[in-house]
Amino acid sequence: MMSIRSFFGILPARLPYADSNSPPESVPLPDTLTLLYSETAPSCVALRVGDEVKTGQNLAPLGAHPLVSPATGLVVEISDFKGPDGRSYTSVSIKPNSRETFDPSLAAIDDFSKADPMELRAAIKRAGFSALSAVSPDPKAWPKVDALIISALDQDPHGLANQQAFRDHADQVGEAIGLLSRAAEASQCVLAVPENLAGIAGKIPPGSHKLVLVPPVYPNGYKEVLARKYGEGILLQGKDGGVVGNTLVISVEEAVGMLSCLRSGRPITEKTVTFTNGTGTPKNYKIRIGTPIRALLKTTGIIPQPKGKVIVNGIMGGYACFSDEQPLGSDAMSVSVQSPSDVTLFQDTACTNCGKCNTVCPVDLEVNLLGRFSEYNLFDKCRTLGAENCIECGLCAYVCPARRPLVHLIVHAKQVIEAQGPEDENAEQGIPCETCENSCKPLRLFEPAPKEERAENGESR
Amino acid sequence: MKALDLIVSPSPHIHSGAKMTGISYHILIALLPAVIVGISTYGLDALRVICSSIACAMVFEALIQKLFKKPITISDGSAAVTGLILALILPASVPFYIVAVANFAGIVIGKQCFGGLGANPLNPALVGWAVIRITKAWAGYLDFDLALVNYDTGFLMQYPLAVLKAQGASALSHFDMIDLFLGKQTGGIGAAAIVWILIGGLYLVVRGVIRWEIPLFFLLGTAALSGIFWLTDQAAYAGPMFHILTGNVMIGAFFLSTDSGSSPVNRWGLVVYGLGCGAMTIFLRAWSDYSDGVVFACLLMNLFVPLMDKIKDKQKVPEVRSLG
Repeated sequence: MMSIRSFFGILPARLPYADSNSPPESVPLPDTLTLLYSETAPSCVALRVGDEVKTGQNLAPLGAHPLVSPATGLVVEISDFKGPDGRSYTSVSIKPNSRETFDPSLAAIDDFSKADPMELRAAIKRAGFSALSAVSPDPKAWPKVDALIISALDQDPHGLANQQAFRDHADQVGEAIGLLSRAAEASQCVLAVPENLAGIAGKIPPGSHKLVLVPPVYPNGYKEVLARKYGEGILLQGKDGGVVGNTLVISVEEAVGMLSCLRSGRPITEKTVTFTNGTGTPKNYKIRIGTPIRALLKTTGIIPQPKGKVIVNGIMGGYACFSDEQPLGSDAMSVSVQSPSDVTLFQDTACTNCGKCNTVCPVDLEVNLLGRFSEYNLFDKCRTLGAENCIECGLCAYVCPARRPLVHLIVHAKQVIEAQGPEDENAEQGIPCETCENSCKPLRLFEPAPKEERAENGESR
Repeated sequence: MKALDLIVSPSPHIHSGAKMTGISYHILIALLPAVIVGISTYGLDALRVICSSIACAMVFEALIQKLFKKPITISDGSAAVTGLILALILPASVPFYIVAVANFAGIVIGKQCFGGLGANPLNPALVGWAVIRITKAWAGYLDFDLALVNYDTGFLMQYPLAVLKAQGASALSHFDMIDLFLGKQTGGIGAAAIVWILIGGLYLVVRGVIRWEIPLFFLLGTAALSGIFWLTDQAAYAGPMFHILTGNVMIGAFFLSTDSGSSPVNRWGLVVYGLGCGAMTIFLRAWSDYSDGVVFACLLMNLFVPLMDKIKDKQKVPEVRSLG
């Protein structure tokens, strides 16, 4: 198992990434594929039960984000689904046929260097990649991308999928960079490679990109951490419609996938995920998008035990599943199974102010204070300390000697802050007084009137 | 289809295995050399004080937690650490009831009344010591020259800081710096074993139990301010080396001021805190009635910890926006 040790107490403790060559093994096509679509309006999914779908068919033509059928088959169920993250999804189940027909509306693009960037973005979205539509669903309304980072690091300490894509397709990385630089109209491009793969990176012919070797230490594989180190804040669409940051981070696996999809005129149908069961060596599997975890577990031969955990997307930052029927989407990176004896318990103990959480936080949050403020429902203070910036890497809770559930507390604060809305609406309004009739907002002479919703949020804990 | 009975919880799903108990045991291990030296110097009396102090601390903690209907947490070792640290800054001759009162004050008033481990604004061991020191009837027990008059340890039985206070720096010529460093001096049971405290403290720094900034800047603060005093008047004030090697400065830098609940978290806060403790020690030694000022300096700086935690790097303002 991994260890975390500090060197002379001066350097922060280190949690290394897994490093091994694991060519992916294919998981057989399951009986049912399930796609989860996060768009709030279910009408975006223009389908009915009993419809025939072709591989690559656009299932949500009205939606802002892509939903592309990964197989040819029959739609057997459409329902609402509450995800493990608490958000609502529309779930579409497809019973795949053995004979595959590709949707003809996808066309191959032969020469990227002459293609219009707008056309490339639309084609990437049409092929089923959401990495770019997370910035802005409308290809024409794109912001300026100052830096494009192609990352060969996995997010999860056990993850191998992205590393494997880099090992297997290093010869295509140069071209993929060319495609993405053109599609995103990026002024500079950085290829971030873990130090252990420096040999492979050296074989990539030098081009317009800059190669950086990243220490293979958790959480350097997080897109936010890479964007902070080598760019200027991650590029994402804000809740108010505006755009924050100017760095776009795309994994090598996605970049190479986009390249081959655009070349062949076929959609993305498969994804590599890393499987671990606690102490065993991680191994890669290739799944059809929408495969339930159960089908993956059947191939690996591991059956989760009662009171154990099935974790998707990493033992540090991932989520535990309610059931093994949970489908693995295009954003799945890894699956881990924990036996009941490995399940970690956190405690409702007091913070001792040792400061270990602050020293390990990759985004420099004051975790000790955030944890306490969230515990006592002081969410305005959490907002001031930048709770929204937490990337949920889990290092704080991992190192906490008091075993406080720090990620739980911060995520709770984040959700309350999100529910309260943007800061301006929530700005403290003074109580109007008879003398001036206006509110004394600039002076802040009066405490703001308690809001009912805040009280509700406080009670719900 | 049979549903699986799976556990669901927020991330992370693994833990480093760090425990409060581990931290306490590391501190106890780090103090072990000083304990052995203390017992070998003062014999069974030192053992009596150490054992009774640890026992009192743990018993009071258990009793008060039972009274407050809280889970009893003496197994985490923090009460034992408080008891041991308190014993090591006391003279070997101190009677049992003084040890008991000091531990009662430290554990009950200094720690549990504020909410227990982590919620204490002051280091509990120092609260216990201070209560004895400021009580007029008991202050004599902490006067090392009086308390240790009946011991023959083979070295000069004069408390160096009392000599400095009474006679000035010119009377210090018979104190050998090497002897002081090796612990051949009058003082607390363990606090006087300077070199062994230093070794234990470095062990804690290497293990990452305490932050290196506090001891380093504590010693720097002591050296810098005593250096300034010494340069202004070499006959009245002792040099920086003498101040670092006497009294509670070494144990203060590594063990008294580093209690996690009552010390800052951010780097610049730690620097200011360490410098403040060191400087305040010298101010008290130079200008107050107390011969040694370490305990009161630490207590005073403990009170400013919430302010020091507000000192932040500019880059601490987070830039990354993740809106997932």
